[in-house]
Amino acid sequence: MASKAPAATGRLLVGFQKWYYNLCGFNKLGLVRDDTLYEDADVKEAVKRLPENVYNDRVFRLKRAMDLSMKHQILPKDQWTKYEEDIRYLKPYLDEVIREREERQEWMKK
Amino acid sequence: MFSHSLSFFFSPLQSRLYAAQTAHKVESTGTGEHVKFQPQDVQVTRLPSGLVIASLENYSPASKIGVFVKAGCRYETHENLGVTHLLRLASNLTTKGASAFKICRGIEAVGGSLSVTSSRENMIYTIDCLRDDIDTVMEYLINVTTAPEFRPWEVKELTPRVKVDKARAAQSAQIAVVESLHQVAYKNALCNSLYCPDYMVGNFNSEHLHQFVQNNFTSARMALVGLGVDHAVLKQVGEQFLNIRSGAGTTGAKAQYCGGEIRLQNADSLVHSAVVSQSAAAGTSEALAFSVLQHLLGAGPHVKRGSNASSKIVQGVAKATTDPFDVSAFNASYSDSGLFGIYTISQAAAAGNVIKAALAQVKAVADGGVTAVDLTRAKAQLKGQFLMSLETSESLLEAMGTQALAEGSYHSLEEVSKSIDNISLTDVANAAKKFVSGKKSMASNGNLKTTPFVDEI
Repeated sequence: MASKAPAATGRLLVGFQKWYYNLCGFNKLGLVRDDTLYEDADVKEAVKRLPENVYNDRVFRLKRAMDLSMKHQILPKDQWTKYEEDIRYLKPYLDEVIREREERQEWMKK
Repeated sequence: MFSHSLSFFFSPLQSRLYAAQTAHKVESTGTGEHVKFQPQDVQVTRLPSGLVIASLENYSPASKIGVFVKAGCRYETHENLGVTHLLRLASNLTTKGASAFKICRGIEAVGGSLSVTSSRENMIYTIDCLRDDIDTVMEYLINVTTAPEFRPWEVKELTPRVKVDKARAAQSAQIAVVESLHQVAYKNALCNSLYCPDYMVGNFNSEHLHQFVQNNFTSARMALVGLGVDHAVLKQVGEQFLNIRSGAGTTGAKAQYCGGEIRLQNADSLVHSAVVSQSAAAGTSEALAFSVLQHLLGAGPHVKRGSNASSKIVQGVAKATTDPFDVSAFNASYSDSGLFGIYTISQAAAAGNVIKAALAQVKAVADGGVTAVDLTRAKAQLKGQFLMSLETSESLLEAMGTQALAEGSYHSLEEVSKSIDNISLTDVANAAKKFVSGKKSMASNGNLKTTPFVDEI
């Protein structure tokens, strides 16, 4: 019994995350999570470093979403981004940019 | 994706390199007032991996350490022409052990400097620092030479710097002449330019750089050279950290001389022109004979703004023209070939006369028109130039490094002086004959209205 408890909470957590993901609604515009990040200096730098094809996909999704939003429409349900298919494509680049910034800040403190 | 283990390389190094300070062989004379530093010779060790370690303890408070790699532009292939130009600019990019930011600030913080030069034969990474900071800067030097990451966005940002380099080189007629001279004189290897060709600017990605480093930066093609460092310390660093890639890497092609001509017509009022033929590979006694011949003919002024009166070719050309001019003997030696000839700078209208007069002087030497006095003077000039060049740490490090890479040893000054003394009149005449009878290559730049073609000289 005791060993099953964490698995059960894990499932519950995933279930909650899924529910929250769908509640946010950006997936209905065909966006993925990393498309919705506020573009501060770090994100801008990370976006600059994306490989060309990944960058083009991002721009396509953003344009499509703006178009849909303007028309007050959403995508057909089969084209919604699924929670399982949402890949954090920007995260490795963003982490690196943040790490570099922190290194700089650390150096300045000395 | 970007693994950063900052202590990946260097935690064990810290304590060991400090030992360098206590390792000086200081001998007290008993009274404790005079500390005697025994003069040291250059020490050379070849490690089992093929890496050559060469060092000279000169007791200087400033140290200089260089990593020499047989990876000059002659090892470029048709697919990656110009990659060494990019590599030379990529020395401060992020590595596995230290970020670009850290390399830059870390070296600046201790007042050191990191520089990269590349010749047709070698890439040379040099770091200068005060002796106490060796351990700090050595970390960066080893990271740069063994563990570069070449991140795509950092490589992309090098393109403007390549363009600036090329634009600056384009200002110099000498660079244009010497680069194009090599281009036409050789079929392969040595024909590659030190500068990235136009069509490759902006077309390199990190994969090109990685591949070139993978193929060429192997232990057997590297030398770790130090001035003002302890040999044992350097050896330990070499054993521990410079053994990333073993083996000999890809073999470069042997240079094939073919001879040719290139004329770069433009509006410059001065004509720069070089006429050469194949000489000898560096390190041979024949190459030394060519060096003596170079000084016999004239290798540049010995008195600032002097008339250069002892130079044979200046004497000869002065009779042929009243316009200002500059002529000198041109001598370049590589591991398997060499170029010897004359380099002239003259007014466009006088170029033909100047070049012909200069060549006539070489012919006179080939025909035996050299006296023993001329030869003694040329030898003294060559020896003087050679010995004085070793007084600067840059040239000394370069001499040690290139010899360590090429032969795995270092020739003492006495040895070299002796081989210069052994050059005879016949050796020099034979060298001149080889130039006169050899197939010529020629490169000219400027207004070429009177400059002869190679078949006319």
